[in-house]
Amino acid sequence: MNFFNYIIRRVLLLIVVLIGVTLIIFALLTLFSPEQRASAFIKDIKQLSDINSIIKTYGLDKPVYVQYYNWLRQIFRGNFGWSTTVSRTVLDAFRFFLPNTVELAIFSAPLIILGGIWLGTLSAVHRDKPVDHFSRFLAIVGWSLPTFWFGLILLMVFYGYFRGLFPPEILGYEAQAYVGSAEFVRYTKINTIDALLNGKLWIFVDAIRHLVLPVITLTVIQIALVMRIMRSSMLEALGKGYVLTARAKGAAPKTVIKRHARRNALIPVVTVSGWLFAQLMVGVVITETIFNRKGLGWWWAHAATQLDIPAVLMAVMFNGVLFVVTNLIVDILYAYIDPRVRLG
Amino acid sequence: MAAQNKDTILDINELKVNFYTYEGVVKAIDDIGFDLSAGDTLGIVGETGCGKSVTVLSVLGLILPPGKIESGDIVYRWRGEEKNLAHQSGEFLRTIRGNEISMIFQEAGNALNPVLSVEKQVSESFLLHRQGELCEEVLEKISRSMEGKRGVRRLVLRCQRKTYNRKLRKARTNSLKYGRYGRLLKNEATKRTVSLLGNLGIANPSEVIHRYPHELSGGMQQRVVISMALACNPSILIADEPTSNLDVTIQAQILSLIEELKEKYRSSILFITHDLGVVSEVSDKVIVLYAGTLVEYAHVRELFKHPLHPYTEALLNSVPMLGKEGRLESIKGNVPNLVNPPSGCRFHPRCPHAMKICTEKKPPQYEVRSHEGGEHLVACFLYRNEKQQR
Amino acid sequence: MNFIKKRRIVIDFEQHPRLKEFQFSFHKILKNPLSLTGLALIFVFFMIAVFAPIIAQPQYEHEPFRIPHEGYSVIPSPPGPGHPFGTTTKQYDIFYGVIWGTRTAFRIGFMVVGSILIIGVIIGSISGYFGGIVDEVLMRIVDIFMSLPLFILAMALVTALGRSLDNIMKSLIIVGWPIYARTIRSSILTLREEDFVKAAKALGAGTLKIIFKHVLPNAIYPVLILASLDIGAMVLTAAALSFLGLGAQEGYADWGQMVSLARNYIVGPQGQPFLYWYVVTIPGLFILFFVLGCNLLGDALRDIFDRKLRRK
Repeated sequence: MNFFNYIIRRVLLLIVVLIGVTLIIFALLTLFSPEQRASAFIKDIKQLSDINSIIKTYGLDKPVYVQYYNWLRQIFRGNFGWSTTVSRTVLDAFRFFLPNTVELAIFSAPLIILGGIWLGTLSAVHRDKPVDHFSRFLAIVGWSLPTFWFGLILLMVFYGYFRGLFPPEILGYEAQAYVGSAEFVRYTKINTIDALLNGKLWIFVDAIRHLVLPVITLTVIQIALVMRIMRSSMLEALGKGYVLTARAKGAAPKTVIKRHARRNALIPVVTVSGWLFAQLMVGVVITETIFNRKGLGWWWAHAATQLDIPAVLMAVMFNGVLFVVTNLIVDILYAYIDPRVRLG
Repeated sequence: MAAQNKDTILDINELKVNFYTYEGVVKAIDDIGFDLSAGDTLGIVGETGCGKSVTVLSVLGLILPPGKIESGDIVYRWRGEEKNLAHQSGEFLRTIRGNEISMIFQEAGNALNPVLSVEKQVSESFLLHRQGELCEEVLEKISRSMEGKRGVRRLVLRCQRKTYNRKLRKARTNSLKYGRYGRLLKNEATKRTVSLLGNLGIANPSEVIHRYPHELSGGMQQRVVISMALACNPSILIADEPTSNLDVTIQAQILSLIEELKEKYRSSILFITHDLGVVSEVSDKVIVLYAGTLVEYAHVRELFKHPLHPYTEALLNSVPMLGKEGRLESIKGNVPNLVNPPSGCRFHPRCPHAMKICTEKKPPQYEVRSHEGGEHLVACFLYRNEKQQR
Repeated sequence: MNFIKKRRIVIDFEQHPRLKEFQFSFHKILKNPLSLTGLALIFVFFMIAVFAPIIAQPQYEHEPFRIPHEGYSVIPSPPGPGHPFGTTTKQYDIFYGVIWGTRTAFRIGFMVVGSILIIGVIIGSISGYFGGIVDEVLMRIVDIFMSLPLFILAMALVTALGRSLDNIMKSLIIVGWPIYARTIRSSILTLREEDFVKAAKALGAGTLKIIFKHVLPNAIYPVLILASLDIGAMVLTAAALSFLGLGAQEGYADWGQMVSLARNYIVGPQGQPFLYWYVVTIPGLFILFFVLGCNLLGDALRDIFDRKLRRK
């Protein structure tokens, strides 16, 4: 089985899983009463006043499989319903909140992955020495930290004590005002990138200042996982025969580590990276709530507490698709890196 | 061993290696000493765990903590120079490893890196130790291609030449770092790889180099491993059970290949195995190890025809041989725990001829009169009336 | 002369290799400083949970988990007489809350993990041992569940079921078992092909006997390690959900809930930023140390049971 067939197989699996995901989401939907479900189908809040006709139109009192079909049809038409907490259609809200979350992700993900790889390699190479114990301890503490609490503490210290050094929210008043004005062109709707593209360095710096604490919150907790995996896979690689061969060939220790061991050790890390993105989304829900950054996570957290059903469903849907797609990419990457996998 | 032969290329004396583990100090090698003469194949025989691998790994300084070479000398003699490898720095040892002394391992599949192509792995040997030559070849190529070129092309080539001259300066001391090799250098190394693989009996080497280890058969993998080891014409080749995992036909091929190469490259070989049949075929001389001690040394015919040490005798009796009749005997007892090895001679608990002195003192090596020629040494008190060696 | 030897009951470790292994493991736990810390932490929390009624006497007879509060003032008051850790918004006593919150934490951790362990092992074992279409179907279901992050799915479920601590636990159970099924299934698949199982079959052992005596004892290790780490993870997830407001109602002794109460009092007024430090720091520290203890132990267990690292 070559590379191409491998991809085909994975895509088929993806479709099966996605269908399953829709089933689960729909199952969730059925837990609500027909009136509550109505908001999942409408495009405008005014329509809510005529609930009965909605129930008729979308067959919300019909048998389950009919409802499933109707609902699926709506989804494919792009109608995800109306989000009561933010007073716009779910699709609009999604488009509105996405850039801020992406901004967080862009800054956190590389830090987590690269930092984790570096720390993990360091730990493995200097096994049982102080460096190793220290980073392992840090990693475990990081993993045990409640995200929400850590963020709050950071806020207390750096925002409260250091008098607004790294503030919450996304931009300061001035920057916010400028960004909203006509002079500022929104290319990507991501503040940091747009600021650079507009050439306004002060806005960029302001945005970064607001990003520091949330990024630290997200990173510290996830880095533990990457570091741990890297360390253990590195240790395993260092014990393998080809490492001895490389040393017997006269290769310098650095070469042995970098070229021979690490390349093999990275394979499990790649696998976990996919999962990492999903975890990032989860962390984002809490982090955005704490720092009052209006992104996807913030929206979903509010939706959950206020029974905004379409938004919650969108959360599940988005995360499901994201997870499945990232896993597919990861699997393909994995096959690319490890030649053994290509042959099935 | 006997008086130092001017032919001796490796001279090991009183080697002691310990492993410091959770369960105690494992006295893996207890006072082993032997010589390797230039052009010889020295077979190292013994059961699993008797210290064969540890001995040869210490030659190359590849013992990692918790292991440690406690004491002893490993004197390497080549081209009039003499160096005690047990006392050398890691840096120095790296110039020897894979270059003047090479090693091949048991499981070829495990010895090869699964994510690197054959080309990358074999070229590495050249790139590590033949940097100067490769640079010179590249420079020559550049100079040649510069003739008859004008303008931009000539300029580009001059830049390249400058770059490689710089590399050459570093390369003379073999300190060109990995990652700075450059494409042209790697291409030269690949050329050498292709011809090397061809010499080792691999068909279509220019195709094979792009393959990955798991795509090759066991015999092919072993050939690749051997080519990595022989790339730089080592004077000593250490083979740690290279054929133990192969089936018999491939085994025969590999063994004859090694013979061929030994002739061609004029190397000496330290051949480790537990298979007596293989020993008898490849070796000129043989040493027998038991539980980290050396019990017997002789020329191969002498050892097989006149084994003197009770352990050697027992070993030979446990293997079927042409012309021998009767039952196969197994050696009673178990291999000893090396954290608390038996006192005195380590074989005494299993020895049918054990005497009181065997439990008290370690037997020194006694030189015995040999029938088939060459030296014959036994570490056994049964022969204590003979001339004592070490 | 006759020597009458007294009969002693001696556990001869050489005769019982499994006991010897157990003793070896136990020693390793005690030797490693990190795992020892973990063990100590969990022990301390366990004691707190057990002696909760004595350490912090319940004010409401039949509802020990209701935190007593004197008054309704929103502003927290600092530690002082009668309130060793101070009070949070609406004057809930922090000390009481964190002490009884320990019981809640243990309840969450062990009930959730216990349930998903059992469910997961049963499903995974069936799937792994019998294979075929059963395996395919079950594993597709597992795949589907595992393609949704635990937290998000639990969040959605709690929204649907209604907010309460019990619903959080139910949601976590519904969402948490797949990974156990998959883990034990892969262990079983690996072990099924191992020589010792084939040998047992060749010697005539029946299917059930093989599962229980040979396969399961070996397959269970990765799952146990997973469980020990999951206890902490589940407590964290439940705390996060409570923090968002999806958990127990206000005034219930639950750590996450208590941090949620502190939301408006993180940073003090100008010039006194740490004025209300105790509202957020103390419950959070309890969470941190509890989860830390679980993770240290779980990590140590993993290192101990990893066959390759076991005898260094």
